[in-house]
Amino acid sequence: MKLSRNWLRQYVRLYSTTEELQRAITFLGFEVEGVRQIGLPPLESVVVGEIKTRVKHPDADKLSVCTVDVGPVAGGVRTIVCGAHNCEAGNRVPVALPGAVLPGGFTIKSSKIRGQQSDGMMCSPDELGLSGDHAGLLILDPAAPIGQPINETLPDGDTVFDIEVTPNRPDVLCHIGMARELAAWLKYDVRFPEIKFKGQLTGTPRPDILKGIRVDAPEDCPLYVGIAVSGVKVGPSPAWMQERLAAVGMRPINNLVDAGNFVMLELGQPLHVFDAKKITGRSLIVRRATDGEKLVTLDEKERTLNSRMLVIADEAKPLVIAGIMGGHDAGVDATTTDIVLEAAYFRPQSIRATSRRLGLTSDSAYRFERGVDPQSTLEAARRAIDLILAAAGGTVVGPVLQVGGERRWSRKINVTPDYIRAKLGFDVTDDEMRDALIGLHLPIKGEQETKAGLEWTVAIPSYRRDLGRPIDLVEEVLRIYGTDRVPAAVCTGPALADGDDDPIALFNRRATDYLVGQHFHEVVNYTLRAQPELATWVSAAATSELALANPFVDDQSHLRPTLILGILESLKLNQSRGVPASRLFETGRVFMELNGTVQECVAVGFVLCHNPKERAWLARPEPDFYAVKHHLEILAQMAGIDLAAQELVPVRGAYWGWQEGQSAAAGEMKDGWTVRFGLLNLGMVRAAGVEGKLWAGTLALLPQKLTTPAGHRRYQPFSLFPAALRDLALVVDAARPAAEVRAQLLAAARAATAGGAFTVESIEVFDVYTGVLPLGGTHADGRRGQRGLGENPTGHRGRWNDDDPGLSDCCGGLPVVRSLGEG
Amino acid sequence: MQATLSALLAKATVEFPRLKSRADFEAAKARYVGPHGEFTVLMKQMGTVAKEQRPALGRLINEAKAQLQVQLDTALARIGEAEIAAQLGPAIDPTLPSPDTGPGTAHPLTLVREEMCRILRKAGFTVVEGPEVETEYYCFDALNTPAEHPARDAQDTFYFPGKARFGNLTKKTPEEKYLLRTHTSSVQIRTMLKGEPPIRIVSPGRVYRRDTSDATHSANFHQIECLYVDKNVTVRDLKALLDYIFAALLGKDTMTRFRPHYFGYTEPSFEVDLSAQHLPKVNKDWIEIGGCGMVDPAVFAGVGYDPDVWSGYAFGMGLERLAMLMYGIDDIRYFYQNDLRFLKQFA
Repeated sequence: MKLSRNWLRQYVRLYSTTEELQRAITFLGFEVEGVRQIGLPPLESVVVGEIKTRVKHPDADKLSVCTVDVGPVAGGVRTIVCGAHNCEAGNRVPVALPGAVLPGGFTIKSSKIRGQQSDGMMCSPDELGLSGDHAGLLILDPAAPIGQPINETLPDGDTVFDIEVTPNRPDVLCHIGMARELAAWLKYDVRFPEIKFKGQLTGTPRPDILKGIRVDAPEDCPLYVGIAVSGVKVGPSPAWMQERLAAVGMRPINNLVDAGNFVMLELGQPLHVFDAKKITGRSLIVRRATDGEKLVTLDEKERTLNSRMLVIADEAKPLVIAGIMGGHDAGVDATTTDIVLEAAYFRPQSIRATSRRLGLTSDSAYRFERGVDPQSTLEAARRAIDLILAAAGGTVVGPVLQVGGERRWSRKINVTPDYIRAKLGFDVTDDEMRDALIGLHLPIKGEQETKAGLEWTVAIPSYRRDLGRPIDLVEEVLRIYGTDRVPAAVCTGPALADGDDDPIALFNRRATDYLVGQHFHEVVNYTLRAQPELATWVSAAATSELALANPFVDDQSHLRPTLILGILESLKLNQSRGVPASRLFETGRVFMELNGTVQECVAVGFVLCHNPKERAWLARPEPDFYAVKHHLEILAQMAGIDLAAQELVPVRGAYWGWQEGQSAAAGEMKDGWTVRFGLLNLGMVRAAGVEGKLWAGTLALLPQKLTTPAGHRRYQPFSLFPAALRDLALVVDAARPAAEVRAQLLAAARAATAGGAFTVESIEVFDVYTGVLPLGGTHADGRRGQRGLGENPTGHRGRWNDDDPGLSDCCGGLPVVRSLGEG
Repeated sequence: MQATLSALLAKATVEFPRLKSRADFEAAKARYVGPHGEFTVLMKQMGTVAKEQRPALGRLINEAKAQLQVQLDTALARIGEAEIAAQLGPAIDPTLPSPDTGPGTAHPLTLVREEMCRILRKAGFTVVEGPEVETEYYCFDALNTPAEHPARDAQDTFYFPGKARFGNLTKKTPEEKYLLRTHTSSVQIRTMLKGEPPIRIVSPGRVYRRDTSDATHSANFHQIECLYVDKNVTVRDLKALLDYIFAALLGKDTMTRFRPHYFGYTEPSFEVDLSAQHLPKVNKDWIEIGGCGMVDPAVFAGVGYDPDVWSGYAFGMGLERLAMLMYGIDDIRYFYQNDLRFLKQFA
């Protein structure tokens, strides 16, 4: 929304500088997004001077030394060194005296130029902020009084403020609206434009111009006003009006259209002017369009309408998309002699829906969809008639045709000054509050003593529909008092008993701390991923479950079901930039399927790889499956999951991009968590443009899984004696998982030692040999691969000898190759 | 006997210093003082010696034993030192770099978020999390955003199709649509609906806007919001909190100021400016940092709190924006590219 300072000055005294005005607008609650100066800005210490003499500078070819008379007040005749070609004696020119600040912040000082004293500067138009020549001095009217401030000599410039109006304040989408606000801030009165046209509502219409108006859709158009004017002469609008419109970026068109636009920007009510002879049947009909109905709008685009859109039509065709834009063939042109002026109130939702649907917006639509004041519809129409009659002549014919009516408006808010003070938390006197409210045209209609103390009844004008409750007046008082004047205070607040951070936050914090401690770099990637990527890495089903209805760009159309894809992208970026990256992790939400629904999960994921490009003078072991497993066990533990006690299932087939035979999974979403880790599919990683063997791990859990508090830990008795170690070598089928063998061994050992002299504390795998046994035997079932497992049942409270009869029992029927003796 | 002892000692004196390993030592020791060792055998001969010779012989044996022990101890100490020396290997060059990677780094957004949470924790605010997929009620209706409000438009907010089913997310009404939350204020609603005042929470989290990505906009970004609900909470209290937060975060000289603004869920509403001359790459006196206000009575009524009893304030801001200000970062996309040369600058 652009506002002209000169335009505002029509309604309110503005003595403030641009900076002060900008500050006022800002602290009234309207962000100033830009300030543009048109023409001559207000300048201090720049006056009219006459060049008396001119001699060549003794030491510079292109400079002249002039004496300039700037009048007795400014110090009489001065010496000024000048580089312009046209500083001839006798010329009157603008002179910036020492101390003057020119546009762009250039301050004039007395100085020596190549050894010659210079007490000021003669100015070019460019140097004064005027457009045009900067090659020569601005030559003024020879009659301009010497010593006169330049702002009095040259025509006024203007300042245009581009402001952001919040959606609750449609009343400020016009100059009167901002003038009201500034008047409250500056504590001045508002001068409203005087309106001469009275607007008779009774009388007989002239059927040759406008027979009548019919509103078929009153729910979308509660009020419609039409006024016919006959005998207008189309031409350019007056210069002052063109200047106003041009200042705020609106192109002047003609005296009829400009009058409508002027009133919209003055009072906030959009208007429309019809050429009466283009209204077939001389009747206006406000109706819904029919589905598929077409209209070419002013911007020469054909619009296809539907039955939810409101149009202003004649008996044959739609003329205007109501409140949004006129038809190309229905507007006024050079041949127009009779017109109908429209002023209406359209339902904001209807305008917004149509505007969105058509992708068509306009100054008019912008105001209607935010809500204009139906109470001032008629007033705006009358103001426009004044301007039209003055600029284009003609006479109003027939009565003001009005369909529908203004709903009665009388809103009052009762508020006590004590309430306002209590909400603010600091002292503002009753008088200050009263002045603020009255200044904002919120008159106090009644003052009464109540149990709660003094109470005011504040009347709310119809254009301030945003005000409805006492709290709304707190803001009004504070706006005028000055929100920057809220006093400082100490931040206090009693501690709250159940104040612990969310378990999700605690988990993320711990996981992050751990992984950072393990030399991982945290990355942050977008939640939204591309559909083909999900189809490749996850499943076809995921692409339908996780799709957005309205993605903005194609490559961000789906929720992420895993963090790995983002981490890969980060890895790829670093690789492509030649940055060695070998350990990355991310925490964040992922979205996973369970029983036909999508579950939002808390997740942590990481990738580690050996970076062949990262050279080191001392070799370190490359990461492997068990390094990943170790990290995941610790992360799972932070989520209350004992991964060692879970069944780990090797990944089979193409599953979420994991490499078969090199990765595993545990847990299912139905248990509230899932862990997947191992090698990322080499082919898929390569296809994704990432180099290397990537070991990765992910943990995803339902938030409620974290929220469930873990049971209190209880102390378990433990042995105070050193353990006795026993090494065993077992021969098993290579296909049998170690955990299974270990479990069998542990169970057998525990059974065999139950109630005995010692207990088996734990069994650990400490060596694995896979291949043909050196002893020469093959396994009974003839499978080629065999695995010798060294198992270590640890016991105490007794010695365990080879000839102990319990030993073979402990092995649970597993063939013992050798008993390796005590470790 | 004496001659035998002397010979034995002489032999030991030659033999022990030559021992190289602990095993050799043990073997040699056994040859002398083991159960069948030469010295042991000699001692056993004591019994066969005449009674009157025994004291003298005993003294001789004891002397020899002591000398032998010195030989043993010396040899063992020497071997022990050699073993340690062998373990040590050659001297290291302390100036060579460690081949291990590291250190790891937390993301700058995490650092700023955690710092804010830490500061707020001291003022009694605890972290609350909420879902990123939300429903219209929690994201808009409960926050006093009317059905026709432009923010709700499909042009600005990501929605899910009608058939979408989210398992662990409660809806207020069956017909409301799922969406990606546009602000973390939805967490305030869930918190208020779940508990009773007084409430003092901070909700950091990821939010989504349907917007073009450029140097200052991102399809998802992060917010951090505070909500305080209690009796007699005032505008001045809100100002006090903000002054505290930013003084703690950016230094004691940091000042804040309010500008009136409009949000549906607060009344009065303000935008918050920071005095910014001491921040990197800022050449303005004041810079906008977030929005805040007093919780609108309609929001309280919606969650079943009596607006005549309870009052409160809410404050929210973008984490990216804050991090950009603090570190002088000029492109929001750097946060999401994760170039290690960027990430390593903040730890």
